[in-house]
Amino acid sequence: MITTQTQRTKSECTYCGAETESAHFCSECHSILTIAEGTDYFSFFGLPRKLSIDEADLEKTFYALSRQLHPDYFMNASAEEQQASVERSSMLNDAYRTLRDRVARAKYLLSLYGYKEAEKKAPPDLLEEVFELNMEIEELKAARQTADEDEVAEARAALEEALRSLDERMTRIDERLFALFEEWDRAADEAANEDKRKPVLDRMSELLSQRSYVHNLVQDIKEEL
Amino acid sequence: MPVIELSMTGRPKSGRVVGIDLGTTNSLVAFMGDSGPAVIRDDSGNALVPSIVYYDNDERRLLVGEEARDRLITEPHKAIYSVKRFMGKGSADVQEDLGMVPFQVAEGSEQVIRFRMGERVFTPPEISAFILRDLRERASKFFGEEVTQAVITVPAYFNDAQRQATKDAGHLAGLDVLRIVNEPTAASLAYGIDNREEATVAVYDLGGGTFDISILKLKDGIFEVLSTNGDTHLGGDDIDNELIAMVIRELEERAGSSFDRDPSAFQTIRKEVMAAKHELSVRDRASMSFDLGPARGGEYSREITREEFEKTIGMLVERTLEPCRKALKDANLRPEQIDEVVMVGGSTRIPLVRRNVELLFGRQPHIELNPDEVVALGAAIQADVLSGSRRDLLLLDVTPLSLGIETLGGAVAKIIGRNSTIPASRGEMFTTWVDNQTGIDVHVVQGERELVQDCRSLARFTLKGIAPQPAGLPRIEVKFLIDANGILTVSARDVRTGKEQSIEVKPSYGLTDEQIERMLIDSIEFAEQDMKKRQVIEARNEAETVMRAAEKALADRADQLIDQDERSAIRNALAELRAATGTEDHRLIREKIQQLDDASRHLAEEIMDGAVLAALKDRKASEVTEG
Repeated sequence: MITTQTQRTKSECTYCGAETESAHFCSECHSILTIAEGTDYFSFFGLPRKLSIDEADLEKTFYALSRQLHPDYFMNASAEEQQASVERSSMLNDAYRTLRDRVARAKYLLSLYGYKEAEKKAPPDLLEEVFELNMEIEELKAARQTADEDEVAEARAALEEALRSLDERMTRIDERLFALFEEWDRAADEAANEDKRKPVLDRMSELLSQRSYVHNLVQDIKEEL
Repeated sequence: MPVIELSMTGRPKSGRVVGIDLGTTNSLVAFMGDSGPAVIRDDSGNALVPSIVYYDNDERRLLVGEEARDRLITEPHKAIYSVKRFMGKGSADVQEDLGMVPFQVAEGSEQVIRFRMGERVFTPPEISAFILRDLRERASKFFGEEVTQAVITVPAYFNDAQRQATKDAGHLAGLDVLRIVNEPTAASLAYGIDNREEATVAVYDLGGGTFDISILKLKDGIFEVLSTNGDTHLGGDDIDNELIAMVIRELEERAGSSFDRDPSAFQTIRKEVMAAKHELSVRDRASMSFDLGPARGGEYSREITREEFEKTIGMLVERTLEPCRKALKDANLRPEQIDEVVMVGGSTRIPLVRRNVELLFGRQPHIELNPDEVVALGAAIQADVLSGSRRDLLLLDVTPLSLGIETLGGAVAKIIGRNSTIPASRGEMFTTWVDNQTGIDVHVVQGERELVQDCRSLARFTLKGIAPQPAGLPRIEVKFLIDANGILTVSARDVRTGKEQSIEVKPSYGLTDEQIERMLIDSIEFAEQDMKKRQVIEARNEAETVMRAAEKALADRADQLIDQDERSAIRNALAELRAATGTEDHRLIREKIQQLDDASRHLAEEIMDGAVLAALKDRKASEVTEG
């Protein structure tokens, strides 16, 4: 079953023994708690597993939690609480870093459902282009070696043109990806749509590996230029 | 070790946390006063302690600061300066630097460089500890309490080994280092440009040996570092070296032969070019002149214009701009999106530096606060936060370098990216490659490059005691945690059994715990020396007071109040005490004070009685007149 509910694990406070919901502090004795097993980045922020996140809100929560959890404020606390503060604030920072970036957020969501970071996969219609691109990169290298300025300029121009088309492709991939975000969020809202969730994740995974491929290609070309 | 020292000093332990800027050129200590952060000055009003240490084995004499500086020219082999450049380094890392300093490197310097001073050998953390001990003593004296807790600053671009070395130095100086804070971040706290709701600030910090650029977002008292970059090998020292090279070239041209690198002559030139450099920050021209003696070409004198100076150092200043651009890129900002630029470090006094920064960011940088003191002031503010007295401020700093682990073929798998907010963590799963393998080797590196050989080796460890199983079956989760000091800790857990896995991390550079323990034991000797020095001074001061009183009593009334024998006993005791104050033996001084006390007790009592009688008489007289 693909559940989208925030994990709510009950746990026992290690200090006073009170049963407490998976918040950051014990509701009874106010000690900072160690992180409960199964806490993910979404639940840490108290968010449902959805991909549309208001970044300004996220930042606000990040600052507010930083003010509660940061080790600076636990210098005089017990060793256990100090340790819990370091663990919680490192998870807070890791979670914020992941969730504030749309692509990282989607990859993280996939990882929660057991998707491995996919191999970088070339979009099928790009294969021919990639072949040509590699030729152009080789040409540029060769032209540089012979120091033929005209040929260097020509090869550069070809690559720059290719770069523009790749940028456009990237934009199209992102548009499709963000459309899937909304689809996921809708499916998450409707319990009846549970069977729709897996296909969304599959498509997202496919798009992300294409995106990684194009992204790498762009980096390679930029390096050559 | 601190416990022993405490019992020796007799001062009560202080709950204060001080902020220390342990600089390449100068160091200083600051604290949070009632009206804000303030630096602690010595009796002559100086806040800066030159980061120079002198040690003489024969006399067992240790000097720090100004006194040590005086020895640079006269006894260059016994003095070390700019030791910060060598923190967390092995000899292979610092070949170039070693060419520019007259230090003697001892055997066994591969992992931690060791310098010979006189007969003894010291590592950079030990030498830094001498400076820290001096600052600690200054602060303790100021408060009349034993200061044992501190925040120490480091360049933002310092790697793990350099941070650890700094922490070790604090430990060796008997300090509990509550936090290692990045210098530019500390400076931003001191400037506290928070009168607007939100601001993006760039801190440009060019010090004696290092360069940092940090970009921060300030919002509601949170100082969030967005990115940092720098060069831990670029600063005022390099500027001096350019000028020294220029002078040496001229000396060689004149003599027609190569310059004999005599350390004392080198220090003479260095002192002169530094003075000229400082002069050129306020004037258009400066003159240098010195005499190296007939064997080295005699007198040298030359004028240098600011234009010539700027041409000489232009490349160095240019080198600071690339890290600035990288930091902007990592923060995803354009120069015009920076609201404020803050200048930190003595080298930002150079007009060329200011012009370049202004040009890059398109705005005038802040120079209101003393660039030598601003980092220590900020450290004092952070110390105040850590002591628990305030919650209105929070620093969120980042790790300057990516953390990675070695994979097959010497490649690096990045696990925590640079500019990640700290504390930052990452769990990695490890397994075995062959059946019944019981250990897994892990190599941790720091840096941005793809290959292990191009990154900085940080540590190696072995996951041991894995139960023999088919390859790929064991699952060991290793947790890498970069704490708020920017220092890595590693823990491991067997996922199947849930058992903590023992790991023994061997730092690639730096001192082992055993080495530090041994140094702590060695350092007691110096703590005792410090102690003794202070006890002698205190005993002398007390002796002066007692002697003055006795002399006055003798001169005033002794003839009428006591007999000849008693008077000569007092004179003898006085003479003996006087002689004792000339020694370094505080026990002897105390003993002689006691003797003088005993010898003059009768006289003192007589004087007291006389004084009481006189007082009574006076009162009667006044009563009479009033009546």
